[in-house]
Amino acid sequence: MRAAIAGLLVPLLLGAGLAACATPPKPRELEAYDNLRRSSNLQEAGKKSPDLVAGAEKLSEKSHEEWQSNDLEDSRRDALMAQVKLKTALTLAEQDQLKAKIQAMSQDQAQAEEQYADVAKDLASEQEKLTLLQKYVTEKQRLSKEMTSAQQKAEAEQQRLSQELVSQQKIAAAQLSLRTAETVEASKYAKTEFSAASDMLAKADADLKQNDYAGAQASAEMAKKNADRAVEIAKPLYEQAEEANQNKARDDALARDASAITGVSVKLERRGELQRLVVVVPELFEKRKPDISPGHDSVITALADLLKKYPTYPVQVIGYTDNRGKASELLAVSAARAQVVYSALAARGVEARRLNPSGLGGEEPYVDNKTSSGRAKNNRVEIVFLYH
Amino acid sequence: MTARTRGTTLVLCAAISFMGGVGSVGGGRALAGEEDDLQRQIDTQRSGAADLERLDELKATGDEIALLRSWLDEAWNLRAKHEYDQVREVLDRSLKQADLIRAKITTSKLRAQAAKREAALAELRAKITKTRKALADTTAKKKALEGSTQ
Repeated sequence: MRAAIAGLLVPLLLGAGLAACATPPKPRELEAYDNLRRSSNLQEAGKKSPDLVAGAEKLSEKSHEEWQSNDLEDSRRDALMAQVKLKTALTLAEQDQLKAKIQAMSQDQAQAEEQYADVAKDLASEQEKLTLLQKYVTEKQRLSKEMTSAQQKAEAEQQRLSQELVSQQKIAAAQLSLRTAETVEASKYAKTEFSAASDMLAKADADLKQNDYAGAQASAEMAKKNADRAVEIAKPLYEQAEEANQNKARDDALARDASAITGVSVKLERRGELQRLVVVVPELFEKRKPDISPGHDSVITALADLLKKYPTYPVQVIGYTDNRGKASELLAVSAARAQVVYSALAARGVEARRLNPSGLGGEEPYVDNKTSSGRAKNNRVEIVFLYH
Repeated sequence: MTARTRGTTLVLCAAISFMGGVGSVGGGRALAGEEDDLQRQIDTQRSGAADLERLDELKATGDEIALLRSWLDEAWNLRAKHEYDQVREVLDRSLKQADLIRAKITTSKLRAQAAKREAALAELRAKITKTRKALADTTAKKKALEGSTQ
Protein backbone atom coordinates (compact mmCIF):
# COMPACT_ATOMS: atom_id res chain seq x y z
CA MET A 1 0.00 0.00 0.00
CA ARG A 2 2.75 2.41 1.01
CA ALA A 3 4.66 1.38 -2.06
CA ALA A 4 1.62 2.12 -4.22
CA ILE A 5 1.14 5.55 -2.68
CA ALA A 6 4.83 6.28 -3.10
CA GLY A 7 4.56 5.15 -6.73
CA LEU A 8 1.77 7.71 -7.30
CA LEU A 9 3.33 10.63 -5.39
CA VAL A 10 6.69 10.50 -7.10
CA PRO A 11 5.47 11.36 -10.60
CA LEU A 12 3.11 14.03 -9.15
CA LEU A 13 5.92 15.72 -7.26
CA LEU A 14 8.20 15.52 -10.29
CA GLY A 15 5.48 17.10 -12.44
CA ALA A 16 4.93 19.88 -9.93
CA GLY A 17 8.66 20.55 -9.73
CA LEU A 18 8.99 20.74 -13.48
CA ALA A 19 5.99 23.01 -13.70
CA ALA A 20 7.54 25.35 -11.12
CA CYS A 21 10.81 25.53 -13.03
CA ALA A 22 9.17 26.16 -16.54
CA THR A 23 8.91 29.78 -18.02
CA PRO A 24 5.42 31.22 -17.51
CA PRO A 25 3.43 32.53 -20.52
CA LYS A 26 4.59 35.91 -21.78
CA PRO A 27 2.54 38.70 -20.21
CA ARG A 28 0.05 40.44 -22.49
CA GLU A 29 1.62 43.80 -21.74
CA LEU A 30 5.03 42.59 -22.84
CA GLU A 31 3.57 41.00 -25.95
CA ALA A 32 1.89 44.35 -26.76
CA TYR A 33 5.16 46.18 -26.28
CA ASP A 34 6.95 43.78 -28.63
CA ASN A 35 4.22 44.40 -31.19
CA LEU A 36 4.75 48.14 -30.76
CA ARG A 37 8.41 47.74 -31.49
CA ARG A 38 7.54 46.37 -34.91
CA SER A 39 6.18 49.79 -35.88
CA SER A 40 7.80 51.22 -38.98
CA ASN A 41 8.22 54.53 -37.15
CA LEU A 42 10.47 53.08 -34.47
CA GLN A 43 13.64 54.44 -36.01
CA GLU A 44 12.12 57.90 -36.43
CA ALA A 45 10.91 57.75 -32.83
CA GLY A 46 14.44 56.89 -31.70
CA LYS A 47 15.81 59.92 -33.48
CA LYS A 48 13.11 62.25 -32.24
CA SER A 49 12.92 61.07 -28.61
CA PRO A 50 16.05 59.02 -27.84
CA ASP A 51 15.53 59.25 -24.10
CA LEU A 52 11.99 57.95 -24.27
CA VAL A 53 12.89 55.09 -26.57
CA ALA A 54 15.97 54.20 -24.55
CA GLY A 55 13.92 54.29 -21.36
CA ALA A 56 11.28 52.10 -22.94
CA GLU A 57 13.89 49.64 -24.15
CA LYS A 58 15.47 49.49 -20.73
CA LEU A 59 12.13 48.82 -19.11
CA SER A 60 11.38 46.22 -21.76
CA GLU A 61 14.59 44.37 -21.03
CA LYS A 62 13.81 44.52 -17.36
CA SER A 63 10.33 43.25 -18.02
CA HIS A 64 11.70 40.35 -20.03
CA GLU A 65 14.07 39.47 -17.26
CA GLU A 66 11.28 39.66 -14.72
CA TRP A 67 9.11 37.49 -16.92
CA GLN A 68 11.95 34.98 -17.24
CA SER A 69 12.36 35.12 -13.49
CA ASN A 70 8.68 34.46 -13.16
CA ASP A 71 8.19 37.87 -11.59
CA LEU A 72 5.13 38.48 -13.64
CA GLU A 73 3.62 41.34 -11.71
CA ASP A 74 6.76 43.46 -12.05
CA SER A 75 7.17 42.34 -15.65
CA ARG A 76 3.64 43.56 -16.47
CA ARG A 77 4.21 46.84 -14.65
CA ASP A 78 7.46 47.60 -16.45
CA ALA A 79 6.05 46.48 -19.79
CA LEU A 80 3.14 48.88 -19.30
CA MET A 81 5.50 51.76 -18.55
CA ALA A 82 7.66 50.80 -21.50
CA GLN A 83 4.56 50.75 -23.68
CA VAL A 84 3.54 54.22 -22.56
CA LYS A 85 6.99 55.61 -23.23
CA LEU A 86 7.34 53.96 -26.61
CA LYS A 87 3.82 54.97 -27.62
CA THR A 88 4.64 58.54 -26.63
CA ALA A 89 7.87 58.44 -28.63
CA LEU A 90 6.04 56.99 -31.63
CA THR A 91 3.30 59.59 -31.31
CA LEU A 92 5.82 62.42 -31.15
CA ALA A 93 7.55 61.00 -34.24
CA GLU A 94 4.22 60.85 -36.00
CA GLN A 95 3.63 64.46 -34.97
CA ASP A 96 6.86 65.45 -36.67
CA GLN A 97 5.91 63.53 -39.77
CA LEU A 98 2.51 65.14 -39.80
CA LYS A 99 4.02 68.59 -39.30
CA ALA A 100 6.39 67.95 -42.18
CA LYS A 101 3.53 66.66 -44.27
CA ILE A 102 1.43 69.71 -43.43
CA GLN A 103 4.32 71.99 -44.28
CA ALA A 104 4.90 70.17 -47.56
CA MET A 105 1.21 70.37 -48.30
CA SER A 106 1.24 74.06 -47.45
CA GLN A 107 3.96 74.55 -50.01
CA ASP A 108 2.08 72.39 -52.49
CA GLN A 109 -1.04 74.38 -51.73
CA ALA A 110 0.78 77.64 -52.32
CA GLN A 111 2.18 76.32 -55.61
CA ALA A 112 -1.19 74.94 -56.61
CA GLU A 113 -2.85 78.23 -55.76
CA GLU A 114 -0.28 80.00 -57.88
CA GLN A 115 -0.89 77.53 -60.70
CA TYR A 116 -4.61 77.93 -60.28
CA ALA A 117 -4.31 81.70 -60.35
CA ASP A 118 -2.28 81.47 -63.56
CA VAL A 119 -4.66 79.04 -65.22
CA ALA A 120 -7.70 81.00 -64.01
CA LYS A 121 -6.14 84.18 -65.36
CA ASP A 122 -5.44 82.49 -68.70
CA LEU A 123 -8.97 81.13 -68.74
CA ALA A 124 -10.47 84.53 -67.95
CA SER A 125 -8.38 86.11 -70.68
CA GLU A 126 -9.28 83.39 -73.18
CA GLN A 127 -12.95 83.60 -72.22
CA GLU A 128 -12.89 87.35 -72.65
CA LYS A 129 -11.36 86.90 -76.09
CA LEU A 130 -13.90 84.23 -76.91
CA THR A 131 -16.74 86.45 -75.74
CA LEU A 132 -15.45 89.29 -77.88
CA LEU A 133 -15.00 86.95 -80.81
CA GLN A 134 -18.51 85.58 -80.37
CA LYS A 135 -19.81 89.12 -80.15
CA TYR A 136 -17.93 89.96 -83.31
CA VAL A 137 -19.23 86.88 -85.11
CA THR A 138 -22.78 87.53 -83.95
CA GLU A 139 -22.55 91.16 -85.02
CA LYS A 140 -21.04 90.17 -88.34
CA GLN A 141 -23.81 87.66 -88.92
CA ARG A 142 -26.42 90.23 -87.96
CA LEU A 143 -24.94 92.82 -90.27
CA SER A 144 -24.60 90.28 -93.04
CA LYS A 145 -28.23 89.32 -92.53
CA GLU A 146 -29.26 92.95 -92.50
CA MET A 147 -27.22 93.62 -95.60
CA THR A 148 -28.70 90.63 -97.38
CA SER A 149 -32.16 91.70 -96.31
CA ALA A 150 -31.52 95.28 -97.41
CA GLN A 151 -30.04 94.04 -100.66
CA GLN A 152 -33.03 91.80 -101.24
CA LYS A 153 -35.36 94.67 -100.43
CA ALA A 154 -33.42 96.96 -102.73
CA GLU A 155 -33.45 94.35 -105.46
CA ALA A 156 -37.16 93.79 -104.97
CA GLU A 157 -37.73 97.55 -104.99
CA GLN A 158 -35.55 97.90 -108.04
CA GLN A 159 -37.45 95.13 -109.75
CA ARG A 160 -40.73 96.71 -108.73
CA LEU A 161 -39.58 100.09 -109.95
CA SER A 162 -38.29 98.52 -113.12
CA GLN A 163 -41.62 96.82 -113.64
CA GLU A 164 -43.41 100.04 -112.78
CA LEU A 165 -41.20 101.91 -115.23
CA VAL A 166 -41.82 99.37 -117.96
CA SER A 167 -45.53 99.56 -117.23
CA GLN A 168 -45.44 103.35 -117.30
CA GLN A 169 -43.46 103.30 -120.53
CA LYS A 170 -45.92 100.91 -122.10
CA ILE A 171 -48.81 103.00 -120.87
CA ALA A 172 -47.09 106.12 -122.20
CA ALA A 173 -46.56 104.40 -125.52
CA ALA A 174 -50.21 103.40 -125.56
CA GLN A 175 -51.23 106.96 -124.62
CA LEU A 176 -49.08 108.30 -127.42
CA SER A 177 -50.62 105.87 -129.85
CA LEU A 178 -54.04 106.89 -128.59
CA ARG A 179 -53.14 110.59 -128.97
CA THR A 180 -51.96 109.82 -132.46
CA ALA A 181 -55.22 108.04 -133.06
CA GLU A 182 -57.05 111.10 -131.75
CA THR A 183 -55.12 113.31 -134.14
CA VAL A 184 -56.46 111.29 -137.04
CA GLU A 185 -59.91 111.25 -135.48
CA ALA A 186 -59.84 107.51 -134.97
CA SER A 187 -62.80 107.86 -132.62
CA LYS A 188 -64.70 108.73 -135.75
CA TYR A 189 -63.00 106.62 -138.41
CA ALA A 190 -62.02 103.51 -136.32
CA LYS A 191 -64.57 103.65 -133.56
CA THR A 192 -64.26 100.01 -132.40
CA GLU A 193 -60.47 99.93 -132.23
CA PHE A 194 -60.26 103.37 -130.63
CA SER A 195 -62.83 102.49 -128.02
CA ALA A 196 -61.06 99.21 -127.25
CA ALA A 197 -57.74 101.06 -126.95
CA SER A 198 -59.26 103.63 -124.56
CA ASP A 199 -60.79 100.91 -122.42
CA MET A 200 -57.54 98.93 -122.28
CA LEU A 201 -55.61 102.07 -121.40
CA ALA A 202 -58.00 102.80 -118.53
CA LYS A 203 -57.56 99.21 -117.36
CA ALA A 204 -53.78 99.56 -117.59
CA ASP A 205 -53.93 102.68 -115.41
CA ALA A 206 -56.09 100.88 -112.88
CA ASP A 207 -53.75 97.88 -112.86
CA LEU A 208 -50.78 100.17 -112.34
CA LYS A 209 -52.45 101.86 -109.38
CA GLN A 210 -52.97 98.42 -107.85
CA ASN A 211 -49.31 97.55 -108.56
CA ASP A 212 -50.39 94.81 -110.95
CA TYR A 213 -47.54 95.49 -113.29
CA ALA A 214 -47.98 92.40 -115.44
CA GLY A 215 -51.65 93.23 -115.92
CA ALA A 216 -50.85 96.89 -116.58
CA GLN A 217 -48.25 95.97 -119.18
CA ALA A 218 -50.51 93.49 -120.92
CA SER A 219 -53.39 96.02 -120.96
CA ALA A 220 -51.09 98.79 -122.17
CA GLU A 221 -49.77 96.57 -124.95
CA MET A 222 -53.30 95.73 -125.99
CA ALA A 223 -54.25 99.40 -125.81
CA LYS A 224 -51.30 100.35 -128.02
CA LYS A 225 -52.06 97.59 -130.47
CA ASN A 226 -55.66 98.74 -130.74
CA ALA A 227 -54.64 102.39 -130.96
CA ASP A 228 -52.08 101.61 -133.69
CA ARG A 229 -54.68 99.62 -135.54
CA ALA A 230 -57.11 102.53 -135.13
CA VAL A 231 -54.47 104.91 -136.53
CA GLU A 232 -53.85 102.51 -139.38
CA ILE A 233 -57.52 102.46 -140.22
CA ALA A 234 -58.33 106.10 -139.49
CA LYS A 235 -55.26 107.79 -140.91
CA PRO A 236 -55.99 107.48 -144.65
CA LEU A 237 -59.61 108.38 -144.07
CA TYR A 238 -58.67 111.29 -141.89
CA GLU A 239 -56.01 112.48 -144.28
CA GLN A 240 -58.43 112.26 -147.12
CA ALA A 241 -60.99 114.26 -145.23
CA GLU A 242 -58.41 116.67 -143.99
CA GLU A 243 -57.04 117.21 -147.45
CA ALA A 244 -60.51 117.78 -148.77
CA ASN A 245 -61.14 120.29 -146.04
CA GLN A 246 -57.89 122.05 -146.69
CA ASN A 247 -58.47 122.07 -150.40
CA LYS A 248 -61.92 123.43 -149.88
CA ALA A 249 -60.66 126.16 -147.59
CA ARG A 250 -57.95 127.02 -150.03
CA ASP A 251 -60.36 126.95 -152.89
CA ASP A 252 -62.68 129.25 -150.95
CA ALA A 253 -59.84 131.58 -150.14
CA LEU A 254 -58.76 131.55 -153.74
CA ALA A 255 -62.24 132.35 -154.87
CA ARG A 256 -62.47 135.18 -152.32
CA ASP A 257 -59.14 136.63 -153.31
CA ALA A 258 -59.89 136.29 -157.02
CA SER A 259 -63.25 138.02 -156.56
CA ALA A 260 -61.50 140.87 -154.84
CA ILE A 261 -59.49 141.73 -157.97
CA THR A 262 -60.99 144.71 -159.82
CA GLY A 263 -61.90 144.13 -163.46
CA VAL A 264 -62.36 140.37 -163.31
CA SER A 265 -65.26 138.09 -162.78
CA VAL A 266 -65.08 134.76 -161.06
CA LYS A 267 -67.09 131.65 -161.64
CA LEU A 268 -66.95 128.15 -160.24
CA GLU A 269 -67.44 125.35 -162.69
CA ARG A 270 -67.74 121.61 -162.37
CA ARG A 271 -66.95 119.35 -165.24
CA GLY A 272 -67.48 115.74 -164.27
CA GLU A 273 -65.33 115.03 -161.21
CA LEU A 274 -63.23 118.07 -161.95
CA GLN A 275 -63.94 121.41 -160.36
CA ARG A 276 -62.31 124.64 -161.35
CA LEU A 277 -62.27 128.31 -160.63
CA VAL A 278 -62.43 130.48 -163.69
CA VAL A 279 -61.19 134.04 -163.47
CA VAL A 280 -62.50 135.88 -166.49
CA VAL A 281 -60.60 139.00 -167.62
CA PRO A 282 -62.97 140.55 -170.21
CA GLU A 283 -62.17 143.34 -172.69
CA LEU A 284 -58.45 142.69 -172.32
CA PHE A 285 -57.74 142.86 -176.02
CA GLU A 286 -58.76 144.99 -178.95
CA LYS A 287 -60.61 143.30 -181.72
CA ARG A 288 -58.45 140.75 -183.59
CA LYS A 289 -55.29 141.86 -181.80
CA PRO A 290 -53.28 139.64 -179.49
CA ASP A 291 -51.72 142.43 -177.41
CA ILE A 292 -53.11 143.52 -174.10
CA SER A 293 -54.93 146.83 -174.30
CA PRO A 294 -53.31 149.65 -172.32
CA GLY A 295 -54.53 150.16 -168.74
CA HIS A 296 -54.68 146.52 -167.79
CA ASP A 297 -51.28 146.17 -166.11
CA SER A 298 -52.77 146.33 -162.65
CA VAL A 299 -55.11 143.44 -163.45
CA ILE A 300 -52.25 141.36 -164.82
CA THR A 301 -50.14 142.18 -161.74
CA ALA A 302 -53.03 141.29 -159.39
CA LEU A 303 -53.47 138.03 -161.26
CA ALA A 304 -49.74 137.32 -161.00
CA ASP A 305 -49.92 137.97 -157.20
CA LEU A 306 -52.91 135.66 -156.93
CA LEU A 307 -51.08 132.92 -158.80
CA LYS A 308 -48.03 133.33 -156.58
CA LYS A 309 -50.18 133.29 -153.44
CA TYR A 310 -51.71 129.98 -154.45
CA PRO A 311 -48.77 128.14 -156.00
CA THR A 312 -50.17 124.60 -155.85
CA TYR A 313 -52.91 124.93 -158.41
CA PRO A 314 -52.25 123.95 -162.01
CA VAL A 315 -53.45 126.85 -164.12
CA GLN A 316 -54.70 127.08 -167.65
CA VAL A 317 -54.39 130.35 -169.46
CA ILE A 318 -57.04 130.23 -172.16
CA GLY A 319 -57.38 132.91 -174.80
CA TYR A 320 -60.77 133.72 -176.45
CA THR A 321 -62.07 135.88 -179.25
CA ASP A 322 -65.51 137.03 -180.36
CA ASN A 323 -67.12 135.12 -183.17
CA ARG A 324 -66.29 137.50 -186.03
CA GLY A 325 -63.77 135.93 -188.43
CA LYS A 326 -62.50 132.63 -189.61
CA ALA A 327 -62.33 130.03 -187.00
CA SER A 328 -58.70 129.21 -187.71
CA GLU A 329 -57.71 132.84 -187.43
CA LEU A 330 -59.72 133.29 -184.28
CA LEU A 331 -58.03 130.25 -182.81
CA ALA A 332 -54.58 131.60 -183.67
CA VAL A 333 -55.43 134.98 -182.17
CA SER A 334 -56.79 133.38 -179.03
CA ALA A 335 -53.67 131.23 -178.67
CA ALA A 336 -51.49 134.29 -179.16
CA ARG A 337 -53.49 136.15 -176.56
CA ALA A 338 -53.01 133.25 -174.11
CA GLN A 339 -49.31 133.30 -174.84
CA VAL A 340 -49.07 137.04 -174.24
CA VAL A 341 -50.78 136.75 -170.86
CA TYR A 342 -48.66 133.74 -170.03
CA SER A 343 -45.54 135.75 -170.76
CA ALA A 344 -46.80 138.73 -168.79
CA LEU A 345 -47.49 136.57 -165.80
CA ALA A 346 -44.14 134.79 -166.09
CA ALA A 347 -42.50 138.20 -166.34
CA ARG A 348 -44.11 139.02 -162.96
CA GLY A 349 -42.56 136.03 -161.24
CA VAL A 350 -45.13 133.36 -161.73
CA GLU A 351 -43.57 129.94 -162.23
CA ALA A 352 -43.99 129.38 -165.96
CA ARG A 353 -44.32 125.65 -165.87
CA ARG A 354 -47.48 125.89 -163.79
CA LEU A 355 -49.16 127.78 -166.62
CA ASN A 356 -50.62 126.02 -169.57
CA PRO A 357 -51.54 128.55 -172.29
CA SER A 358 -54.05 127.64 -174.96
CA GLY A 359 -56.55 129.31 -177.27
CA LEU A 360 -60.13 128.36 -177.92
CA GLY A 361 -61.00 131.03 -180.48
CA GLY A 362 -64.61 132.07 -180.35
CA GLU A 363 -65.74 128.98 -178.53
CA GLU A 364 -67.53 129.17 -175.25
CA PRO A 365 -68.46 132.87 -175.40
CA TYR A 366 -68.59 134.59 -172.09
CA VAL A 367 -71.53 136.74 -173.13
CA ASP A 368 -73.67 137.00 -176.26
CA ASN A 369 -71.77 138.14 -179.36
CA LYS A 370 -74.81 139.97 -180.79
CA THR A 371 -73.79 143.30 -179.38
CA SER A 372 -70.52 145.08 -179.78
CA SER A 373 -70.13 145.33 -175.99
CA GLY A 374 -70.81 141.62 -175.79
CA ARG A 375 -68.19 140.90 -178.38
CA ALA A 376 -65.73 143.21 -176.63
CA LYS A 377 -66.25 141.24 -173.45
CA ASN A 378 -65.66 137.96 -175.29
CA ASN A 379 -62.22 139.12 -176.43
CA ARG A 380 -60.84 137.89 -173.18
CA VAL A 381 -58.49 135.56 -171.29
CA GLU A 382 -59.63 133.12 -168.69
CA ILE A 383 -57.26 132.05 -165.92
CA VAL A 384 -58.52 128.64 -164.90
CA PHE A 385 -57.45 127.24 -161.49
CA LEU A 386 -57.93 123.51 -161.57
CA TYR A 387 -59.01 122.18 -158.20
CA HIS A 388 -57.44 119.04 -156.81
CA MET B 1 4.25 70.05 -22.00
CA THR B 2 1.53 72.47 -20.84
CA ALA B 3 1.74 74.72 -17.78
CA ARG B 4 -0.82 72.61 -16.04
CA THR B 5 1.17 69.40 -16.65
CA ARG B 6 4.37 71.03 -15.48
CA GLY B 7 2.59 72.22 -12.36
CA THR B 8 1.23 68.78 -11.67
CA THR B 9 4.67 67.20 -12.16
CA LEU B 10 6.32 69.69 -9.79
CA VAL B 11 3.68 69.09 -7.17
CA LEU B 12 4.15 65.34 -7.58
CA CYS B 13 7.95 65.57 -7.33
CA ALA B 14 7.74 67.81 -4.31
CA ALA B 15 5.29 65.43 -2.75
CA ILE B 16 7.53 62.45 -3.45
CA SER B 17 10.60 64.23 -2.03
CA PHE B 18 8.66 65.37 0.92
CA MET B 19 7.31 61.88 1.51
CA GLY B 20 10.80 60.40 1.19
CA GLY B 21 12.21 62.87 3.70
CA VAL B 22 9.44 62.64 6.14
CA GLY B 23 9.01 58.84 5.71
CA SER B 24 12.43 58.16 7.22
CA VAL B 25 11.44 60.11 10.31
CA GLY B 26 8.56 57.56 10.47
CA GLY B 27 5.59 57.46 12.65
CA GLY B 28 1.78 57.35 12.02
CA ARG B 29 1.61 61.07 11.42
CA ALA B 30 3.93 60.72 8.47
CA LEU B 31 1.88 57.87 7.00
CA ALA B 32 -1.32 59.86 7.26
CA GLY B 33 0.31 62.80 5.52
CA GLU B 34 1.53 60.57 2.73
CA GLU B 35 -1.93 59.07 2.23
CA ASP B 36 -3.46 62.52 1.98
CA ASP B 37 -0.79 63.59 -0.42
CA LEU B 38 -1.36 60.56 -2.64
CA GLN B 39 -5.10 61.17 -2.53
CA ARG B 40 -4.52 64.74 -3.65
CA GLN B 41 -2.34 63.50 -6.47
CA ILE B 42 -4.97 60.98 -7.53
CA ASP B 43 -7.63 63.69 -7.43
CA THR B 44 -5.44 66.06 -9.38
CA GLN B 45 -4.82 63.42 -12.02
CA ARG B 46 -8.51 62.54 -12.21
CA SER B 47 -9.27 66.20 -12.76
CA GLY B 48 -6.49 66.23 -15.38
CA ALA B 49 -8.08 63.22 -17.08
CA ALA B 50 -11.38 65.08 -17.30
CA ASP B 51 -9.55 68.06 -18.77
CA LEU B 52 -7.89 65.85 -21.32
CA GLU B 53 -11.22 64.35 -22.29
CA ARG B 54 -12.57 67.84 -22.92
CA LEU B 55 -9.43 68.70 -24.83
CA ASP B 56 -9.86 65.68 -27.08
CA GLU B 57 -12.37 67.29 -29.44
CA LEU B 58 -11.80 64.62 -32.06
CA LYS B 59 -12.33 61.76 -29.61
CA ALA B 60 -9.08 60.16 -30.67
CA THR B 61 -7.91 59.02 -27.27
CA GLY B 62 -10.97 57.44 -25.74
CA ASP B 63 -9.21 54.13 -25.04
CA GLU B 64 -6.13 55.82 -23.61
CA ILE B 65 -8.20 58.01 -21.29
CA ALA B 66 -10.20 54.96 -20.19
CA LEU B 67 -6.93 53.20 -19.44
CA LEU B 68 -5.70 56.23 -17.48
CA ARG B 69 -8.88 56.29 -15.47
CA SER B 70 -8.61 52.59 -14.75
CA TRP B 71 -5.07 53.16 -13.51
CA LEU B 72 -6.16 56.02 -11.32
CA ASP B 73 -8.87 53.76 -9.89
CA GLU B 74 -6.19 51.15 -9.33
CA ALA B 75 -4.05 53.74 -7.53
CA TRP B 76 -7.03 54.70 -5.43
CA ASN B 77 -7.58 51.09 -4.44
CA LEU B 78 -3.91 50.61 -3.69
CA ARG B 79 -3.93 53.75 -1.52
CA ALA B 80 -6.81 52.30 0.41
CA LYS B 81 -4.71 49.19 0.97
CA HIS B 82 -1.81 51.43 2.06
CA GLU B 83 0.35 50.14 -0.81
CA TYR B 84 1.93 53.51 -1.22
CA ASP B 85 4.91 52.47 -3.29
CA GLN B 86 2.62 50.84 -5.79
CA VAL B 87 0.40 53.89 -5.73
CA ARG B 88 3.38 56.08 -6.58
CA GLU B 89 4.40 53.72 -9.32
CA VAL B 90 0.87 53.76 -10.81
CA LEU B 91 0.66 57.52 -10.46
CA ASP B 92 4.02 57.88 -12.21
CA ARG B 93 2.78 55.71 -15.08
CA SER B 94 -0.45 57.68 -15.14
CA LEU B 95 1.51 60.89 -15.50
CA LYS B 96 3.34 59.41 -18.51
CA GLN B 97 0.01 58.17 -19.88
CA ALA B 98 -1.34 61.72 -19.57
CA ASP B 99 1.68 62.93 -21.53
CA LEU B 100 0.98 60.27 -24.13
CA ILE B 101 -2.67 61.35 -24.34
CA ARG B 102 -1.70 64.96 -24.80
CA ALA B 103 0.71 63.94 -27.53
CA LYS B 104 -1.97 61.83 -29.15
CA ILE B 105 -4.50 64.67 -28.96
CA THR B 106 -2.00 66.97 -30.62
CA THR B 107 -1.28 64.29 -33.20
CA SER B 108 -4.95 63.75 -33.91
CA LYS B 109 -5.39 67.47 -34.41
CA LEU B 110 -2.40 67.52 -36.72
CA ARG B 111 -3.78 64.52 -38.58
CA ALA B 112 -7.10 66.25 -38.99
CA GLN B 113 -5.32 69.37 -40.11
CA ALA B 114 -3.28 67.33 -42.61
CA ALA B 115 -6.42 65.60 -43.86
CA LYS B 116 -8.10 68.95 -44.23
CA ARG B 117 -5.11 70.34 -46.07
CA GLU B 118 -4.96 67.23 -48.24
CA ALA B 119 -8.62 67.56 -49.11
CA ALA B 120 -8.20 71.24 -49.84
CA LEU B 121 -5.17 70.49 -51.99
CA ALA B 122 -7.01 67.73 -53.82
CA GLU B 123 -9.92 70.08 -54.34
CA LEU B 124 -7.61 72.79 -55.61
CA ARG B 125 -5.88 70.32 -57.95
CA ALA B 126 -9.26 69.20 -59.23
CA LYS B 127 -10.13 72.84 -59.77
CA ILE B 128 -6.86 73.31 -61.69
CA THR B 129 -7.61 70.27 -63.85
CA LYS B 130 -11.14 71.50 -64.46
CA THR B 131 -9.93 75.01 -65.25
CA ARG B 132 -7.25 73.67 -67.59
CA LYS B 133 -9.89 71.65 -69.39
CA ALA B 134 -12.13 74.72 -69.59
CA LEU B 135 -9.16 76.67 -70.94
CA ALA B 136 -8.46 74.01 -73.57
CA ASP B 137 -12.15 73.96 -74.54
CA THR B 138 -12.27 77.74 -74.73
CA THR B 139 -9.11 77.85 -76.83
CA ALA B 140 -10.53 75.21 -79.17
CA LYS B 141 -13.81 77.12 -79.46
CA LYS B 142 -11.94 80.34 -80.13
CA LYS B 143 -9.81 78.70 -82.82
CA ALA B 144 -12.89 77.22 -84.43
CA LEU B 145 -14.59 80.63 -84.40
CA GLU B 146 -11.49 82.31 -85.78
CA GLY B 147 -11.41 79.68 -88.50
CA SER B 148 -15.05 80.34 -89.34
CA THR B 149 -14.56 84.10 -89.56
CA GLN B 150 -11.67 83.91 -92.04
